[in-house]
Amino acid sequence: MSTGKKAEDFDRRKRNISMKPATVSFMNDNSENYIQTNVMPQNLITNSQNQLEGYPKLQNLINLKEKHIAEYTTTPYGCRVDIDQMVPILHRWILKEKLTFDVIMIGALTDNQFIYPLLTQLPIDRLISKPGFLFIWGSAKKINELTKLMNNENWAKRFRKSEELVFIPVDRNSPFHPGISDNEESLFEKMQWHCWMCITGTVRRATDGHLIHCNIDTDLSVESGLTRNSAIPSHLYKVAENFSSATRRLHIIPARTGSETPVRARPGWVIMSPDILLNNFDCKRYRQEICKLGTHQPVKPEIEALRPRSPPSKK
Amino acid sequence: MIEETKLVDFLLEKGVDLLNEPLSGKLDDIYRLFIKFLETEETARGIGMADFVDTLNTLAEICPGAISTSCDSRPDSSWLHEYRLDSVNLELVGLMSHSLRGERITSVEMTNILAPTRGLDLGQRLRGILETNADDEIDTQLELLLGTKPASFALAKENARIILPQQAFIPNCNDPKHTSDLGSAAQIMNNKLIGFKLSKLSADEIKCMLSKIHYVPNLKPQTNIALGDCSYLDTCHKLGMCRYVHYLQYVPEALQQSVQHEVEKNNSKKLDSKRITFYTHGFCTSMASRMPLPAQWIQCDVRKFDFSVLGKFSVILADPAWNIHMNLPYGTCNDSELSQLPLDLLQDEGIMFLWVTGRAIEMGKNSLVKWGYEVCDEISWIKTNQLGRTIVTGRTGHWLNHSKEHLLVGIKGKAAWLNRQVDIDLIVSCARETSRKPDELYGMIERVVGPHARKLELFGRDHNTRAGWMTIGDQLQGSSIHELDVERKYERFLSHGFEKAPVVV
Repeated sequence: MSTGKKAEDFDRRKRNISMKPATVSFMNDNSENYIQTNVMPQNLITNSQNQLEGYPKLQNLINLKEKHIAEYTTTPYGCRVDIDQMVPILHRWILKEKLTFDVIMIGALTDNQFIYPLLTQLPIDRLISKPGFLFIWGSAKKINELTKLMNNENWAKRFRKSEELVFIPVDRNSPFHPGISDNEESLFEKMQWHCWMCITGTVRRATDGHLIHCNIDTDLSVESGLTRNSAIPSHLYKVAENFSSATRRLHIIPARTGSETPVRARPGWVIMSPDILLNNFDCKRYRQEICKLGTHQPVKPEIEALRPRSPPSKK
Repeated sequence: MIEETKLVDFLLEKGVDLLNEPLSGKLDDIYRLFIKFLETEETARGIGMADFVDTLNTLAEICPGAISTSCDSRPDSSWLHEYRLDSVNLELVGLMSHSLRGERITSVEMTNILAPTRGLDLGQRLRGILETNADDEIDTQLELLLGTKPASFALAKENARIILPQQAFIPNCNDPKHTSDLGSAAQIMNNKLIGFKLSKLSADEIKCMLSKIHYVPNLKPQTNIALGDCSYLDTCHKLGMCRYVHYLQYVPEALQQSVQHEVEKNNSKKLDSKRITFYTHGFCTSMASRMPLPAQWIQCDVRKFDFSVLGKFSVILADPAWNIHMNLPYGTCNDSELSQLPLDLLQDEGIMFLWVTGRAIEMGKNSLVKWGYEVCDEISWIKTNQLGRTIVTGRTGHWLNHSKEHLLVGIKGKAAWLNRQVDIDLIVSCARETSRKPDELYGMIERVVGPHARKLELFGRDHNTRAGWMTIGDQLQGSSIHELDVERKYERFLSHGFEKAPVVV
């Protein structure tokens, strides 16, 4: 650029002219830029490496939460079962083992998931405690199918859809790039995964600080490029962990994720998948561990002082 | 009955001699030899030639490639057959003798046994299953095949790049050191950037400043850098007392002008490309010569307007003020005024974009279906702040903070004239005034339907009016109609009123 060369000449007058600040602010059109340069709009987000950039207080809070959560956490458990065995085993957990979980996550960032059949075959309201939190991840199309559940009175009475989360891969080479299925009818190339966050039972964000911490994470996560190869980026777990203080967490993946994208165990979670690397779940041992640990993390004053709160009621 | 293990032992003992002279694989003779082999153990009573051939064939089925037999008619007689043993693979027969006796074979043993064998399909298959994923190659090929997009996608994208007007683009600088150095060198007066003390900046920094957008900390006496950035940044209402850090955009005027000049030069060249375009899918016939219609708008209450005044459109964009009472139990919100609107009248074939938030996502989907659409996409608008970062603070949602908004896309009819998948289903754009949506969407829509398609925006405001679009909404200033038929029908609608005499199309 000619103006750039002029600056290097250190000709002060010319430089002062070329450096004069513009009076009107400038806005880029990232979508149009994608057409010209093939750089995807999400690559131009300036805080994708560290979402909390510029907010030291929030960073501090997240660090404290991470330590606190790690302190009150169960051993990582894996339960390797075939997809068609999931419902019978979960039925046994409900009826014979009397297991309940406060946080249940279903699905992963992969195609060909059997989410809707699982949800209709499973009395999930008996597996989840009240209040309980449900996170369902899948392709936008699979999540769209869940709208049927909303129109089903029985389901809508028990679960309230509270947020819709979105995960965005960095580009087409990402392990989290949505697959090729159902792409041809689309008007726009798919570049996102969706999640329903549902709540069952009653929680109030103003008074139930011992159960939930609101407004810590956002409803959007962008792949940072540092994410490990796995069917589930750790951020999906973190959102659930930061929101609910419960220690009983279950993750069901009703899909084959294959050997290329392994499902890794995670402390604090029981993960049921046909491809989980670890297969060590034992109901008795889990119950004993929860008994010792307690079902919720205790309230920590340092976190209470930092976390976002509802403003005092105006009424 | 012949025990398979006996036969396998026999084959192992005799080996390739069975194929060589004088037997030459003739099964009659091999059968006799086998009977002799058995007689040493006194078990050969009642075993016929047919049993022998059957058992051999069973073995060939159990382990393909271990042995093979054939059957030819004899040269001296057309009705007598000659059975022949064509090949024996001793390693595989040995393997078979292990497995028939119920011994386990480890993959290592198997590989050792199979390693020297050449071109045996079973061996390869077994190894493939045990050691590597033999399906990998098929998978990659299949993926490649399925991943290959229709040429129409690439053509439409290239067309959009070459023909449609380009916009100026200046990248952001992401170096935090530049930000802090510029902050200390900046000369700011009344929250306006006047210049920099260039002596405080390095040559590299000056070079970067001349080519990228920088955000310069606007440090004031009350600013406490340790607190970090203001959640509202340039939209903060308390700039005079807020202790968090705010920023001013710095782009050299000369850079802005040169980028703009470059873009205008490119865009004038595009007129030529438009005239000689070879791919005209979805375009009108007079693509190059026809100007898009000027901006049109009608101030009206959308809920009481007669849509037959407007005619039919290729695209409808709506940003309704969803009015959902939070205390209502779910399921009772379905009967909203919006889904009652006769929006099904406005399109025979085309696409509709509907902005939704929170619970309106499900209502919006149901409404689209009711109006005859199929939900084909969900675009996410990632809201960024002044610095191009996603919005992470400020309690913008009830349970989680909200960093994005949803835009549903519905399609009605086949609409084969649409240019698909030019853009991705994301918009990354700065959040402006409350409820103002990103302008990037207009460009994306134009790339789908072409510049001359009739486009309608419902619930629009003054900043939404633009060339090629008809905007209607109650917050617009007056009306401006250029299409004569619409004007005529609108006048008739005004004079007769909707209730009394609906306009006949």
